[in-house]
Amino acid sequence: MSAIEIRDLGKSFGAVRAVDGVSFTVEPGTITGYLGPNGAGKTTTLRCLLGLVTADSGTALVNDRRYVELPHPLSEVGAVLEATNFHPGRTALNHLRIICTAAGLPLARADEALEQVGLADVAGKRVMGFSLGMRQRLALATALVGHPRVFILDEPANGLDPAGIQWLRGFLRHLAHERGAAVLVSSHVLAEVEQTVDNVVIIAKGRLVRQGSLAELVSNGDAAIRVRTATPGELVPALERAGATVTQADGFLRVTGLDAERIGQIALDERVVLTEVGQERSDLQHVFLELTGEGES
Amino acid sequence: MRLIRAELQKLTTTRLWWVMLAVTVAYALLQLGLTIGFAGVTGDQPGAPAIPGRDTREFQDLLWGLGAGGAVFPMVLGVVMMTSEYRYQTITSTFLTTPRRARVVVGKLGAGVVVGLAFGLVVLALTAVAVVVTVSIAGGELAFTGATARIVVGTLAVLMLYTLFGIGLGALIRNQLGAIIAAVAWVFVIEAVVSAIPALQPVGKWTPGGAAAALTSSGVDLGLGTDWLLPAWAGGVVLLGYALVFAAVASTTTLRRDIT
Repeated sequence: MSAIEIRDLGKSFGAVRAVDGVSFTVEPGTITGYLGPNGAGKTTTLRCLLGLVTADSGTALVNDRRYVELPHPLSEVGAVLEATNFHPGRTALNHLRIICTAAGLPLARADEALEQVGLADVAGKRVMGFSLGMRQRLALATALVGHPRVFILDEPANGLDPAGIQWLRGFLRHLAHERGAAVLVSSHVLAEVEQTVDNVVIIAKGRLVRQGSLAELVSNGDAAIRVRTATPGELVPALERAGATVTQADGFLRVTGLDAERIGQIALDERVVLTEVGQERSDLQHVFLELTGEGES
Repeated sequence: MRLIRAELQKLTTTRLWWVMLAVTVAYALLQLGLTIGFAGVTGDQPGAPAIPGRDTREFQDLLWGLGAGGAVFPMVLGVVMMTSEYRYQTITSTFLTTPRRARVVVGKLGAGVVVGLAFGLVVLALTAVAVVVTVSIAGGELAFTGATARIVVGTLAVLMLYTLFGIGLGALIRNQLGAIIAAVAWVFVIEAVVSAIPALQPVGKWTPGGAAAALTSSGVDLGLGTDWLLPAWAGGVVLLGYALVFAAVASTTTLRRDIT
């Protein structure tokens, strides 16, 4: 059973097709990054999953049920949506206590959750004085009160300072890899999640463009070998005869279609001196921008 | 039940409830003061005074029924109980916690009953003090008749039902300012018109104001007449009907909308 299962999900707002036939799953114990530029349909997908937006077609299930059918939603799913949904005149602790009351959870969970996100010191302060980062932590505390095993987070790094982002990464890894939770986290900035996620789902203009493990996504890019030589004029024709595609840039030869060993062999045969041979790590950011049609960085 | 408690928690953890209570109390004091001040005053017109004398039984019943006039304040509180969820986007976490949305409104209506009754009891306590003090000073005889009891219960019912009316209206009109303006315009403009013009009184008795008047009518004619009103019980049913119909219509329309 997948913790999250989205199948052929579709949603239009007026003439705008916000989500168009998106399907993917998230398994327990893994972190999935849901990536795409702003306006790609990430938030709409997540809100469909949480029963806040009604999908036009397809299904979005958590633990095999629609969110509205979950008997104790907060004990199964923790959600972090935009950072502004607090009453400014209410204290952080009271905000969480109200949720505990409504969900039938012990009030002590409110204090625990604030402790977990590092807001225990400001529990009695009104939310109106909170920075964006503190609101984001409070939102995360809201997701934690029910001790759920599925987490759905929409741009949780927004407003966090670098230390906060570092903390969030560690926390998400702890939830998924140590406590076995399924984590779905959206972002429009690949670098934010690149070091955290196990799997990646990329969406652009409402459509799924790629999904797979992070490693797959990287190797799916055209893995090139960078070669440096003082005499490219002798090497290039030989490489091309062997079936490689070669481009020259910045004094390097960028060779695709051959592996490093083969290139070395050809260089030896042609008696060309190589001063440098290296695997070019496919730049994930490059792949991301290419896939989402945002052009070169 | 836990949803009602959560809704009451929402109210007591922000400041608005006691601001509205203070305004309600101030308004009740003003009304009591003016009525007591002008009691028995005949003015230029010959004949009976507009407000009965302080030593009369009618005066006591009139005083008891004044509290219902402040019902507009718990009504506004009811509107805000619903619309502030949209204004501050707390509706997102409310619906995440309680995804069956109609239950949220039922919880709020339940909390509205508690809030409305609490406001009513405060107003009636003030009224009781005013009645006892004024009548004692004027040398009249305190009388708590069956009619008085009916007015007291009616006042409680009006404050409670107006709170529910506000919640229902707020569910229907999600925009806070729009909902408050609609509610206040209704009470002060439309109702004033339909109850003042005799030709419109057959319509007027079915309005929330007409229904409230039926619930608290002391039989004292303050110039607009009283015979056109519904019986008290029917007034209560009409007011409750408004709240429930608004809430039910909202549950199938505005409440279903996407939260984006």
